[in-house]
Amino acid sequence: MGQTQSDQPNFLTGAQAIMQSLVEQGVTTIFGYPGGAIMPTYDALYDYQDRLHHILVRHEQGAGHAAQGYARMLNKAGVCMVTSGPGATNLITPIADAMLDSTPLVCIVGQVRGNLLGTDAFQECDVIGMSMPVTKWNYQVVDANEIPEIMAKAFYIAETGRPGPVLIDITRTAQSDKMTIPFEYKPIKTLISYKPRIDPKAEHLEAAAKLINAAKKPYILAGHGVLISGAEQELNDFVDKTGIPVATTLLGMSSMDADHPLYVGWPGMHGNYGANFLTNSCDVLIAIGMRFDDRITGDLASYAKQAKVVHIEIDPSEVDKNVKADAPVIGDAKSALKALLPLVNKNEHTEWRNEFRKYDEEEYEKIDKKDIFHTGDKITMGEAVHMLSNKTKGEAVVVTDVGQHQMITNHYYRFKKRNSIVTSGGAGTMGFALPAAFGAKVALPEREVIAIIGDGGFQMTLQELGTIAQSGLPVKIIILNNNFLGMVRQWQELFHSRRYSFVELQNPDFITIAKGFGIDGHKVEDRTELSNSLDTLLNSKTPYLLEIVCEKEGNVFPMVPAGGSVTNVRLE
Amino acid sequence: MLTTYTISIFTTNTVGLLNRITIIFTRRRINIECLTVSETERKGVSRFTIVIRNENREFVEKLVRQIRKITDVLAVFGYLDDEIVFNEIALFKIATPLQGESIDVKTINLDWNAKVVHWGLEYVVVEKNGTEDEIHEFYSYLKKWEILEYIKSGRVAVGKTEKGLVAYLPEGNWEIV
Repeated sequence: MGQTQSDQPNFLTGAQAIMQSLVEQGVTTIFGYPGGAIMPTYDALYDYQDRLHHILVRHEQGAGHAAQGYARMLNKAGVCMVTSGPGATNLITPIADAMLDSTPLVCIVGQVRGNLLGTDAFQECDVIGMSMPVTKWNYQVVDANEIPEIMAKAFYIAETGRPGPVLIDITRTAQSDKMTIPFEYKPIKTLISYKPRIDPKAEHLEAAAKLINAAKKPYILAGHGVLISGAEQELNDFVDKTGIPVATTLLGMSSMDADHPLYVGWPGMHGNYGANFLTNSCDVLIAIGMRFDDRITGDLASYAKQAKVVHIEIDPSEVDKNVKADAPVIGDAKSALKALLPLVNKNEHTEWRNEFRKYDEEEYEKIDKKDIFHTGDKITMGEAVHMLSNKTKGEAVVVTDVGQHQMITNHYYRFKKRNSIVTSGGAGTMGFALPAAFGAKVALPEREVIAIIGDGGFQMTLQELGTIAQSGLPVKIIILNNNFLGMVRQWQELFHSRRYSFVELQNPDFITIAKGFGIDGHKVEDRTELSNSLDTLLNSKTPYLLEIVCEKEGNVFPMVPAGGSVTNVRLE
Repeated sequence: MLTTYTISIFTTNTVGLLNRITIIFTRRRINIECLTVSETERKGVSRFTIVIRNENREFVEKLVRQIRKITDVLAVFGYLDDEIVFNEIALFKIATPLQGESIDVKTINLDWNAKVVHWGLEYVVVEKNGTEDEIHEFYSYLKKWEILEYIKSGRVAVGKTEKGLVAYLPEGNWEIV
């Protein structure tokens, strides 16, 4: 902006426009990694450091997962910024994960100079083509003037309706060029081609209420939509009035207090016995903000066939996709529950609720008791998580990776506080937890954030220990180490005649690795030291890693074998 | 039984949208029989006409909903053949060597409702409009000559309803072209 241009108005460059758009959108945090094609934007960021807190990750995948953890805590878009080519491809896994788990992300990706597009230039890749199947929307910017409008559109699409990831690919020239018009950021409130329905139709609500009021054995499945729309209170009010038992899905976990008398656990492949089995006994199944994933339904042909289905869902393409809805309610979970409340009758379903207890008792005898009061030499994952749940009073934010420890965590952690789970559900991305836990801690530093990770998944993104150490944020990390890719091993044991094909790991010394990154930690093998070890972890004012050496060949039960019926639950 | 469905998709005019739409067919392993993209009578609105064959109506309904979900899609319809007026256009390049049998223009015009649109030195180009079946029948007739090239367009179709496009679009100021 030297004097040579004094005859020109002082317009922003594209890069400055990106920064100014983020500020005006209310963004405060960026997870990113610089590189050639995004350098003009990083140069502009240098002058915005007082307004935009940029966190330098160690790998672009870490930026994506951290932004996911951040987004899921705050229910607003997480922002990541990476360079072209490999920077962009490294971001694809978190984008796909965010797409399946309805997580709002705005990914700003550098691209080669406009005149080099399509020429196989250095670090060029067709990120628009590559990300198309896994983004809610994407767009390539080649003109600096477009930036404010496209940024506003990106946030609007990412955060509204069923949230999801959005990617903006910006050529180096669009970043470095000066705009030829004055910068103006206008948040977008509506788009002609995209109109998510928030408030359900009255006739839909009436049809749903009619089914619910006539039900003798109604059963609620509360999903991620409850957390995303912030409908925890509405769900509680609805349940308290109608007396309907509630199970929460893996991603809907923590939408209800685990000690609520009507809470009956979770459905799904490793969910609770009663929560699965009684799906095929209820007369009205009320699904709220969930999409009947195959890990919940098992065999569709025998899933809840006796029940009338009320499906409250913001994404119309999910209705009737897997399970036919008798009363679809298209809309946001919060406004649907709020609108349904006056239409439903006050009721009690004590006898029906108590049916679940019989299954709970059997499950406790056959599974929990053996896990919690284990007599073997080694600690079980179950007893570790059970103890953690007690020590944290169920009030921590728990971030899990993928595998046995994930299922165990959802089985034994008794969530008492709303919006307290971050896990990779739809995609099942190993390596998710460490960066996601960091992102969650950045979002809510006042809350205790605990990452629970297996020894396999930890080694996929462990470089983010560096990011955590540099931030100084006290993220608490637990590795449940069984020296196996445990879930695959379990399947090989149960379904492949114990032919253990490439599941045993020779692990590094995790504590030395943590210390190498400047993170304190220790390893516990002896049951008598488990309690003190968890105290040390929880009392630490700095990031801390606790490695818990677990039973090597422990299995996760209950289990509905893949593709099996929900009544076919294995307890041992 | 395989049924033919014509899927009409109205979209904003956006780069890359074709890709986003076809991905949905690819993911569900549906073969696209033909595809036509064109402008419409409303400024900024494009129209995709995609023909597929499928046994399962419910499957096609799910497909339509997934297409509707794309951010830049304004409206989508899945039609059966009796719900639309539709047509295709075919061009045939026929060899007409000096010693060979000459083509019968009168029959082509009157019996087949087709026309010769170009006379070359030793070939002609014949144009035929009609349904896929009519074009196939005509193809059989032309086989007595050497067919040098044959090409057929995708289907174009309009719904059998008195309503115009704008009735199906989200409320807005849809300027006529």
